Amino acid sequence: MALTELNFEFKPETPKTIVEEWSHVGVVGSGDLEVLIEKEKALKGSIKIHILTTVVGFDDVWETVVKKFIDKTGLSGVKVSINDNAATPAVVIRRLQQAVDNGGGLQ
Amino acid sequence: MKINWEDLQGKSFYQATARERAYGIVDKGTFKEFLGPRDKMTSPHLLILGEAVEFDDGITVGVGKIKKHPVFVVSQEGKFVGGALGEVNGAKMAYTMKLALKTYEKMKEKYGTVPDDRKPICIVSFDSGGVRLHEANAGLLMHSESMETIWELQNKVPYIALTGSTIGAYGAQGFVCLSADVVIANDFGRIGLTGPEVIQQEVGKDEFDASDRALIWRTMGARSKYILGDVDYLVKDTIGTFRDTIANIVDEPMSKISRTRKVGSPQLVEENLEVVKLAAEKQIKDSKDLWKIYGNENVDQIPEMPQDQFLSVVKRRPRRI
Repeated sequence: MALTELNFEFKPETPKTIVEEWSHVGVVGSGDLEVLIEKEKALKGSIKIHILTTVVGFDDVWETVVKKFIDKTGLSGVKVSINDNAATPAVVIRRLQQAVDNGGGLQ
Repeated sequence: MKINWEDLQGKSFYQATARERAYGIVDKGTFKEFLGPRDKMTSPHLLILGEAVEFDDGITVGVGKIKKHPVFVVSQEGKFVGGALGEVNGAKMAYTMKLALKTYEKMKEKYGTVPDDRKPICIVSFDSGGVRLHEANAGLLMHSESMETIWELQNKVPYIALTGSTIGAYGAQGFVCLSADVVIANDFGRIGLTGPEVIQQEVGKDEFDASDRALIWRTMGARSKYILGDVDYLVKDTIGTFRDTIANIVDEPMSKISRTRKVGSPQLVEENLEVVKLAAEKQIKDSKDLWKIYGNENVDQIPEMPQDQFLSVVKRRPRRI
């Protein structure tokens, strides 16, 4: 079974970006994921998200979870890459927050 | 990316991720990672099979410094596919070890000799179940390349193995670990060739019960290996103590460091075979019997003792070489 690839782009209302140039957290263990955030100048005010997951048929859940996080924090100006091995939505939100914190927080 | 080196020194080695171990094992702010997550070099084989991939392919490699020594670090991540060695992470491991050798040769060429307090060091932090079977031959190829490099490092570059993470060093990585000049472990360290569950599957539960954790730990765990001489230093479970132990060893001349080698000469093979002979002669049924032969009393208490007490009362297998 092939991996599911998802691509989203959002434009949050109050755009903020991370302090550091890049940030990485997590290990792709069972039920876990890794998040890599990289600043990209061309993406001013918007955010691109690339997800590679082993789970099939949860595309809407992924979109809801990620959109909720971005609406809440305003994370933008970055490219987010996620490798996932069947993490639950709670874990996904937690890792995204940790990745933002690891990048020095939002400004 | 932010990494707080001071926090890492007090952090449990057992709980730390591969990247944390790699950053914490060298001096503050000196670690430089090769092919980190931003390079996105993932395994092409896992992708085809529809298995989850990771940007660093479950290994952190790089170079740092301890005192004046250039230190080449390989740190395996047990949570990703059991830390198993595939084509990409295997190549990262083997070629980082080769870089240590290259650095040694360059120094020798340029300065004539390599001073003891500046010689390159190779550290591997093991957390692996062996070769990644999805990538069978590619993984084995990289395994053999690292074994070849270890042979070339002999008497030139100190190769230090660390074990004490969730998986331990099993399968092919078990003997990569025991080929080291020095093996350092905490109480969670485990070294073996075949893992407990595979042994049970092959020879039956009566022979080896994989659900009996006490049996597993006293057979393959660090304390038993320390008594037998496979583990040279048994330390407390923080990244800082591992780092300090390494820092205390590395200034010694190479001839002294390599005295704790377990393989690599006919004399050592003979010495190792004596243990096998002893086990056959005395009909050893349990590690405890072997501990008794080497002069340990209260063998029932050995696994439960606090580490300090264990180190003060333990009697180890005498070495002739």
